[in-house]
Amino acid sequence: MSRTLNVVRLQLINKQTFIWVPLIVLAGSVIVSVLIYAMIPVPGPKYGGGGQAPLWVFFGTGLTAMTLTFPFSQALSITRRDFFVGTLLAAALGSAFMAVIFIIGGGIELLTNGYGINGYVFHLPWMWETGPLGAFITFFTLALFFFVVGFTGATIYKSWGPVVLTIVSFVLVLALLGVIFVITRLELWNQFWTMFAELGAVGLSLWGLAVIAVLSGISFLAFRRATP
Amino acid sequence: MTAVIEVHNLTKRYKDKNALDNVSLAIEGGAIYGLLGRNGAGKTTLMSILTAQNFESAGTVKVFGEHPYENSSVLNRICFVRESQKYPDDATPRHAFKAASLFFKNWDQELAEELIKDFQLPMKQTIKKLSRGQLSAVGVIIGLASRADITFFDEPYLGLDAVARQIFYDRLLDDYAEHPRTIILSSHLIDEVSNLIEHVIVIDNGQILMNEDTDAVRDRAVTVIGDSAKVDAWVAEREVLHRESLGRVASVTVLGTLSADERAEVTASGLDLAPVSLQQLIVRLTQKASAENSSENSSENQEVR
Repeated sequence: MSRTLNVVRLQLINKQTFIWVPLIVLAGSVIVSVLIYAMIPVPGPKYGGGGQAPLWVFFGTGLTAMTLTFPFSQALSITRRDFFVGTLLAAALGSAFMAVIFIIGGGIELLTNGYGINGYVFHLPWMWETGPLGAFITFFTLALFFFVVGFTGATIYKSWGPVVLTIVSFVLVLALLGVIFVITRLELWNQFWTMFAELGAVGLSLWGLAVIAVLSGISFLAFRRATP
Repeated sequence: MTAVIEVHNLTKRYKDKNALDNVSLAIEGGAIYGLLGRNGAGKTTLMSILTAQNFESAGTVKVFGEHPYENSSVLNRICFVRESQKYPDDATPRHAFKAASLFFKNWDQELAEELIKDFQLPMKQTIKKLSRGQLSAVGVIIGLASRADITFFDEPYLGLDAVARQIFYDRLLDDYAEHPRTIILSSHLIDEVSNLIEHVIVIDNGQILMNEDTDAVRDRAVTVIGDSAKVDAWVAEREVLHRESLGRVASVTVLGTLSADERAEVTASGLDLAPVSLQQLIVRLTQKASAENSSENSSENQEVR
């Protein structure tokens, strides 16, 4: 266990990776969003997707955790299991940190009436439907999801090569198309959107956590035979 | 003493060739080993499998009596920094050493600091911006300061200048004298490490050609220098590894150990004896072995190189 915790420390030794870079990206994105809101001459509330910017950082972090930090961990004689569990823990911590920032940002937006211009980056009604905790879970899940997708993709690439990664991505896209086709064919879109709305952000996040668990499982199987 | 590393019939297959071909090897430990061989001979593959960074296709691998894969009790005692070691994105040498100190229980921070000074390693630059030599220095420092029971160095001198290489050799010997352990050093600069290594393992084309004490290897051949007619007469039936001549002087390296009497005889006849450089000897023996191999296999196995 202590070695797993040491992996968490290893991942967090360079605070830049999980903390400063996403924060800087987020800050930049908020500033740009607010500037754009300021240019929109509409008194009503303005919402934007600037909050998703740090998610892409998590995707990249997941990728390099596999391609760069994993080979380093091998030089430190860390078992693959310890590295895997510790890295996911570190990612969960980083995601939780970002989610807290998200909640704080939402609070600031509420207090300042959307930076005084009724513009919102964090306080998106759909995510905040069930309050701050719901928003926390939603953003936490999103960040972790991006990390795990990056990590899994890189693991598949390293274990089985680019061809398999391409095939897997292709099959996923096909499956998605299949679902869309079935929904369209059976004219289920109304029901789909109702279900979507009923689940709410938190319900969807819980499903997201289940997907994360499945992805992690697949990733671990591939990772066990990965070479640096 | 039982061997710290035992390998039986180890084979590693890649698509088009066997990187390791039915290798069996025992390493007693408590010495500095030179793992010598040409590029692509299988040195890195062998070390990767011994440290569970890579996987064998067939055969058994035991380190401290157990298979190293996912085995913390074995891995805890091993350090293997690759020749082209990767480091986390944006990590500085300071980060790398801090991380290493978390995982190696014998980590010596003082030694690390001294080495940083010796190698004049910039600590605040990210590792990806370091020069090749500085990158090697990071690996060398982790390898030395980790004081792992078995430490592998994979061509650690790449890009290091002559001064830095000497620092590495000196520091390695000093620290080894104070903290005896097993050190396995892969190299193709044989002469540079010949004073360092106590035991020679030569690998070529995925096979172990030699696994002997360095002194025994040196005794396997001798060079005789002098008037070419006399030298040729003396050499007569012996197995010649190498022959050079300049005017009427010839220098011939022959296989075989000379007794004290024979040595006296040679000097009495006006010829000079010279020690064979380890590099020369290994190069010749490697060439000889691969020539024999290829003549053996030539009919069936015509590999295109």
